[in-house]
Parts: sequence; structure tokens; C-alpha cells
Amino acid sequence: MWDELKRYVRFTTADAQLIAAFGKLAAPEFPRISQEFYDRIREHEGAHAVLTGEEQVARLQRSLVRWMERLCGGIYDENYFEEHSKIGRVHVKIGLAPRYMLSAMALIRIALTQLAKERSSDPDRTKNALNRLLDLELAIMFETYQDAMSARIRNTGRLKSENDGRALARLEHLYANAVELAPVLVLGLDSSGHIRLWNHEAERVTGYARDEILGRSSDALLPEDLRGTEGARLTSIVAGPEASAEGELLTRAGKVRHVVWHAARVPVNAEDEVAMFVMGSDVTDTRAMEERTRRAEKLAAVGTLAAGLAHEIRNPLNGAQLHVAFLERAILKKGSDPQMLEAVNVVNDEIKRLANLVTEFLDFARPRPLTVSPASLVAMFTRTQAMVTSNAENANVKFACDLPSADVAFAADSARLEQVLLNLVGNAIEALEPTGGGHVTLRGRRQPRHVVIEIEDDGPGVPQAAPIYDAFYSTKKGGTGLGLAITHRIVTDHKGTIDVTSKPGRTIFRVTLPLTQTDGDDS
Amino acid sequence: MSKSPSSQPPHGGQPAPLVLVVDDDARSARLIAQMLREDGFNVEVVLDGAQAIARLTQAPLPDVLVTDLSMPHADGNSVTVFARSQKPGLPVIFVTGYPHLATAQIGEPSPTLFTKPLAYAELKIALLRILPPRAAGTEGAGLRPIK
Repeated sequence: MWDELKRYVRFTTADAQLIAAFGKLAAPEFPRISQEFYDRIREHEGAHAVLTGEEQVARLQRSLVRWMERLCGGIYDENYFEEHSKIGRVHVKIGLAPRYMLSAMALIRIALTQLAKERSSDPDRTKNALNRLLDLELAIMFETYQDAMSARIRNTGRLKSENDGRALARLEHLYANAVELAPVLVLGLDSSGHIRLWNHEAERVTGYARDEILGRSSDALLPEDLRGTEGARLTSIVAGPEASAEGELLTRAGKVRHVVWHAARVPVNAEDEVAMFVMGSDVTDTRAMEERTRRAEKLAAVGTLAAGLAHEIRNPLNGAQLHVAFLERAILKKGSDPQMLEAVNVVNDEIKRLANLVTEFLDFARPRPLTVSPASLVAMFTRTQAMVTSNAENANVKFACDLPSADVAFAADSARLEQVLLNLVGNAIEALEPTGGGHVTLRGRRQPRHVVIEIEDDGPGVPQAAPIYDAFYSTKKGGTGLGLAITHRIVTDHKGTIDVTSKPGRTIFRVTLPLTQTDGDDS
Repeated sequence: MSKSPSSQPPHGGQPAPLVLVVDDDARSARLIAQMLREDGFNVEVVLDGAQAIARLTQAPLPDVLVTDLSMPHADGNSVTVFARSQKPGLPVIFVTGYPHLATAQIGEPSPTLFTKPLAYAELKIALLRILPPRAAGTEGAGLRPIK
């Protein structure tokens, strides 16, 4: 580059020789020029700012003298170029603005050309040679500035991109937080329905950790019976036009949760990119609550009407029963006719049954507030056992109580819970009666926050999806269909839950009640 | 309000105790009365709350009140309150299709509550418990046979 510069400026060997000759004459003047130069610099505020003190100025003056000696030394090789580039880089380093360098060079030029005019034997050619050389010097200086400038631009760019990177990271962090902290399931599915994104709530609800679910098909989240038939709800959302749908979700533990899904499609190119974000809200508890409310509302409406009717039924029943009693008395007076007595007894029994139905129905239809007091699980089991033993024996059923090692004390309406136990144990025994007997176990267990009561039998089981808790649903001959409805009400009044798992040979009704303290509310 | 002599007086020659039966179901009320008389009680029947209150303003006052709760003009609770204003401590038996209508604040002793349909035998047992065979001439005024 140096040679190219020399050619461009047309700096020749002759010029070099002229300057070398001039240098010998001018050298004694260099300290003076240097002195004057720095005096001028001192006068200028901006340039002066880069000077730190007299000691430094003295050093700089000596450097300038050496520089002028080299400038007029007559040797302009690569080494010269390198040395003078260093000086330029020092200027850049100390922060000398290029404009000061320009005016400094102008000062030098004036001083040297003046000197050439006065001392040189060939002042014109020497002046030209000096001008060319000083132009080369300028070129060197600008070169160093340019290097520094481009380095600075590169650096600024690097800093900017670093900042951009940080901003991007912050933004990423923000979105990641939004997804991770959202109380909804957030899934990303690719176009073939494989899971590519899985947030914290999804982990919590399903029990599947991210690392074990990513890459798997979303079909794994569907209950097995849906996988074949419905063609997988999640993927049908992905494929279909609908934007939201409610579906069932299978947790790792095998439980089914109800989830309302909202889908947002993303245009994609690659097969494994997220083609759809699926947001899901777990509505299982809400749905259960709605179901309870719906049931309660239905009961309230029907109950009010039917309760009125039930009461009215009692009056004609009363007349019938009294007249039957009168008939019975008349028959007995006339010397008992067994057939007539039997007929009267049948009517009497039927009236009693009807009266019983009315009472049970009213019990069910008209909610009574609970009478909550300290209850003992052992005491409840003991009383229940005493009441069912004879029934069990008659049905050839082996009844067993399975109690926890320590009694469980909790707040409850003992009398009504005993009614629950009697109903459930009674049902179990009755289920076993036609099969010639079996086993019924009444089991109580304490959990951290709940007491769990199970009634297990080895009977034929409960039909799948039968509306067993609905009023008047009964499979028993002579059953009122109110036992489980009342049971359900009592359990839910206690803020508990009842569920059943049943297959032939093993049916378990499970009542889960909160372990509330007895000093709580009494309603 | 027909009356017949007790066929089997349970009270050993003493005048039979008087039972006032209040029920707007006339056939049932009369049948109860007939059977009670056969069993040795003195019985009067009235068919609604107003009639009951009218009857209770006159002597002799009954030894026991057997009343329905839901009736025209005045319900069983009101009849009870009025009866006990006339005769404090009067034993009361409610026979009703609406047991939840029984009021708690009705004074002592607490009424015995029967839900319809009524088993006559149970009513008789309850009456015999409330009206033990004459121990002493307490409340003599109410025990005179009326005519």
C-alpha cells in the first residue's frame, strides 16, 4: 500500500534525495519548529486538552524533532511507513481529533516550506518534494484514523447487537414467564399432532414432566376409549376449523380431567415446528360444581312441587290406614277369618310402604340442615355394624369392619352419616342376597385432610353409567330409588364426595369427607 | 259431637278421660273417635281450628288434645296455644301430614307427634301413657263426663 501511495503522489527517488539534502540543512531548526508547534497547540483548548503536563510536552517535542529528522532522512521504505503509522495510532489512542492533526500538519508544512525557501539550493523542487512527502504523511495519518474508525464502528455494532441480544433475551424471558406461569395448560403441537411445547400447568395437571412428553403424540393424553373412536380430540382441533372445544384429558395417574381447549394456528414450514398452540383450562372442578348445582336446582324445583304432593298423599293414606285398622278390629270381633285378616294385613303393609316412600321422599326433597357435632368414626362403624348384622346373617353375607388403628374424630352429623353407611352397606348386602351371599367390608381410613370410608362387596357390580344417584332410579324389587339419592345429598351436604368403582366381583363405594374441626360452623 | 258410654272403661269406675279430636278430615276423625270410645275413652270431635277454639272456651276442658296441624281457620299450633291458655300443661298429640309445621315454642309438655298415616294402635298406646289410670283427683274439673 505504501508503494502504491508513493506512486499516486508521484513521490520519486529524486524527491527523496532533495529532501535528504534539505534535511541536513534544516535539522538545526527542528527543535525551534517543534517548540513553536507545541506553543500553538497549547493555545488551543481542544488540542490542549490531550496534554497532561510540561514533562509530556517536552517528551512530545523531542518526538516531533525525531519525527522531522526521520521525515527529512531520505529513506522512505516500509519501515518508515510502519514507524509513522505508529505515531498516527498514538494520536488516535490519545483521542486527538483528525482536524487538529490536519492543522498540525499545516503548521509543519508551513514551517518546512519556509525553511526550504530560505535554505535550499533548489527551493521550488524541494518545496514540491516536501509537499508530496507531507501528503504521504497525511495519507498515513488518515489511514490510521480510518482503521481506528472502522474498528470503532465494528465495536459499536457489536455493542448494539449485544444490547439487542439482551433485549431479545429479556423479551424471551417475558414470554417464557407468561407461558410458564399461566394458570392454563399451554401446549404446542406440530402439524402431525406431536407435542413440542409443554408448560408448567400442563405438567401439574397431567403429571407428565416436560422431558417425558415432548415429542410424543398428543393422543397419549386422551382416554383410551376415545383414542380410536373420536379420532383424538386434540388433533382434530389441530386439523379442524373449530377454535375451541371441550375434551377429556388423561393424566399420568389415569384420571380423566375435563379441559376446555382453545387453539391458535401458526403458519409453519417444517414438519417439527409448532403448528398450533393449544391453551386448555382444567374445568373438571367447575363441571362437577355445575353438575351439583344443576342437580340441586332440579331437586329444588321438583322437590317443592313433589313435597306438596307427598304431604297431600298422607291424608288419604291416613283415612285408608284408619279404616283398615277398623276392619281388622271388626274381623277380630267376629271370630278371626285368617284369609280376611291376611288381606287386611296386605293392605296395611302396602299403606305402610307408601307412607315410608313419602317420608323418604320428603327427607330427600326437603333439605334439612346438618346437626354438626364431634363425630367418631369408630362409634359410627360400631353402631352401623350392630344394625346390619342380622340382615347380613339372613343374606348369608360375611360383614367385616376394617378400622384404622386410631379413631378418627371430625365434625359431622353423625346420625345422617350413619344413614349413609346403613344405606350403602344395606345396598351391598341386598346386592349379594340373590347370589347366595358373599362379603361386605366397611373400611375407614384417615388421610391428611380427609376421612375415607369404603364399602366394598364382591357382588355382581353396578351397571356402568347407571344414574344411580338419581332419585327413583332403582334396580331393586320394592326399592324406592331414594337411598343413594339421599346418601349423595348427605355426603355433599358434608362437603364430601362419593364415587364408585365397580366390576363384577368387586364394587367399592368410596365416601370422602373433609376432616373439619368440630369447633367450626354448625350448619 | 256424639258421645257413647265407654264399653270397656280402663279407669276403674272413674269417669272416662275426655279426648278432644280436631281434624278437618271428618271421616277419619269420626272413625278415630269411634275406636277410642270402644276402647273406653270419652271423645269429642271438632272439624277445624275455629270449632276447636270455640269448644275450648267451654267446660269441661279435655284431658288431652289430639289435633291435626294443617286445618282451616286456625292451625294445630294455635289451637294448642289457646287450649293451654285455658288449661296450662294440657297434654297434646299432633297427628299430621306436615310434621315440620309443629312449632317448637308451644310450651310444656312437648306435644307427641304422629305422622299420617296414623297407626291407631300407636295412638292408643300414647293416650294410655299420657292418661294413666286415675291416681288421684287432680284436675278433677276436666274429668267429669259431659252430657
